[in-house]
Amino acid sequence: MKAFFNKLWDIIRLGLHDLGAHKVRSGLTVLGILFGVWSVIAMLAINEGGSYEAQRALRRLGSNNIIVSSVKPPAESGASAQSSGILEYGLQNKDVARLRDTIPGVVRCVVVRRTQRYASEAGRSLAVTVIGTEPAYARIAQTDMVGGRFITGADYLRARPVCVLTASLARRLLVYRDPLGATIWLGSEPFAVVGIIRQLPLALSGGASDVENYVVVPMTADLARFGEMNIMVSAGSETYEKVAVSQCILQMADEQAVIDGATVARSLLERQHPKQDYEVTVPLEIIEQIKQQRRLWNFMFLVIASVSLLVGGIGIMNIMLASVTERTREIGIRRALGAKRRDITVQFLIEAIALTTVGGLLGIFVGMLVPWAVERLLKFTTILVASTLVLPFVMAVVVGLVSGLYPALRAARLDPIEALRHE
Amino acid sequence: MTDTLIHLEKLWKIYPVGPGVAALQGIDLAITQGEYVAIMGPSGSGKSTMLNLLGCLDRPSRGRYWLGGQDVSGMSDDQLSDVRNRRIGFIFQSFNLIPQLTLVANIEVPLFYQGISRRSRHSRSRELAAMVGLGDRLDHRPSELSGGQQQRAAIARALANDPLVLLADEPSGNLDSQTSVEILALFDDLHRRGRTIIIVTHDQGVAAHTHRIVRLRDGQVDSDTLNGGGKAGT
Repeated sequence: MKAFFNKLWDIIRLGLHDLGAHKVRSGLTVLGILFGVWSVIAMLAINEGGSYEAQRALRRLGSNNIIVSSVKPPAESGASAQSSGILEYGLQNKDVARLRDTIPGVVRCVVVRRTQRYASEAGRSLAVTVIGTEPAYARIAQTDMVGGRFITGADYLRARPVCVLTASLARRLLVYRDPLGATIWLGSEPFAVVGIIRQLPLALSGGASDVENYVVVPMTADLARFGEMNIMVSAGSETYEKVAVSQCILQMADEQAVIDGATVARSLLERQHPKQDYEVTVPLEIIEQIKQQRRLWNFMFLVIASVSLLVGGIGIMNIMLASVTERTREIGIRRALGAKRRDITVQFLIEAIALTTVGGLLGIFVGMLVPWAVERLLKFTTILVASTLVLPFVMAVVVGLVSGLYPALRAARLDPIEALRHE
Repeated sequence: MTDTLIHLEKLWKIYPVGPGVAALQGIDLAITQGEYVAIMGPSGSGKSTMLNLLGCLDRPSRGRYWLGGQDVSGMSDDQLSDVRNRRIGFIFQSFNLIPQLTLVANIEVPLFYQGISRRSRHSRSRELAAMVGLGDRLDHRPSELSGGQQQRAAIARALANDPLVLLADEPSGNLDSQTSVEILALFDDLHRRGRTIIIVTHDQGVAAHTHRIVRLRDGQVDSDTLNGGGKAGT
């Protein structure tokens, strides 16, 4: 046994020694493998990081939420543009009640009414989106308070005319003033500013890219001051819209409840709203889609990697075949002096594997440097997981084994007498 | 006869070329421990085939070959490798050192395949290098040595495994006359120390050093004489 390991170790040393004797050739071969491994690792790390970023953004919306929004139906569907000229669509309070009561696993249900108004103060006037909602909105939206407080249960119950502004709106509307305690006018109604939030999560802003000019008020106060009608002024003409609930956010107990709940919500609304004036958004589903997409990309990267490693493998086979031919006489000498076929096979196989192992290790090294540099320079998030490093490396070694096998066997099959005669 | 080291019995070698070329046709030969034998003959007489068979590089088509009491004629490739590795020392006309290895590494190649530890290989290899007068060339590569030095190294390598028999194929064929004399002197010396040596050659001068000359012709033993006229092998 000891003799066996002595011999094996010696053959490994021999293989490495012979590679060292052909530095340029070995180096170039190693380079081929290095690039294969390197590119896969870098691609996987960047892909992994990108999907992590997207997932994190979505998770901020709450992966446990189901968001049901009212959407204006297409004009030609005759969306109940009644004789009064009032466009009425979207979720009703009874829809919300039905959703809340039918879907199992609802932890919290928050209703949002969104209207466009002008906010003014001291002669300054800005178009804003008013969010009439409930106190629990703060928890679902995960808003960061910059100052003051969010609307409270008491505000809601008593329909107090208080509001919470986004920080940037406060800056623009109440220049040079401490916004807390100030009074602003929404349309012609005064509201006291009680709190400042950073901004709204994008997905809760109702599709608008603007997440900054928001005023959050108690929904009760909103209805009491402005009524149910929303007057839209556009291009000189006025449209009257009546949307009872702009958005209903259902927070669910767990992810399974989200998936089941989304199905229930969709079938429920489909029956009640044949006009399709609603939209169900499930962040979890989007996250799943992203994961799915990432798997697809990873698969593609692996395919690309396999191709580049295959090319590397062909390079190795080529080199090894050249080496076998060049060293035919050496093989003959070794056979004459007692090397078994096995010994010759192992010697050449080890050379091939050594090439890919070195290439693979360098590839891992460079592959780790690149994501690091990308992160520094391009501010991408990159993620290196163990499997990202190990998989291409293992593939490279396997490529070495496979592409080295044929030349090695060919070397071992040489007839020692013929080989000795070889010039 | 005592200590028969090599015993060939009706040894045939037929190459499957066309109708079959019989390179050796029923050779009978016995060589005892400590003999110094030359195998001679014109080209095509079967010298090389004989050498390959004696060296266990090839298997006979028919007949038996006992080496050191062991029948090697039916052995597998791996078994023959082992026999070559442990019992035979080869010396070639063109030295056949491995170019990228140092002198020490070349000498220890047979030991390498025995799985002997590096340390004991090195010490044995150094000893042998010193014995053939190359103690100061240990780390040189073959290309840095003269032909004579290379052949000395090859002889050291052939002795590394302490073989039953040294098989030399035209050992001085690639050397100038002065160096040839030195190499043959080395063979003579080895013989005096008890080595069994078989030299395949067509050079009378080389054969003159040996004690017994076996002449082949057309794959058969033509004559088998003791150097000095007596009849051998009887």
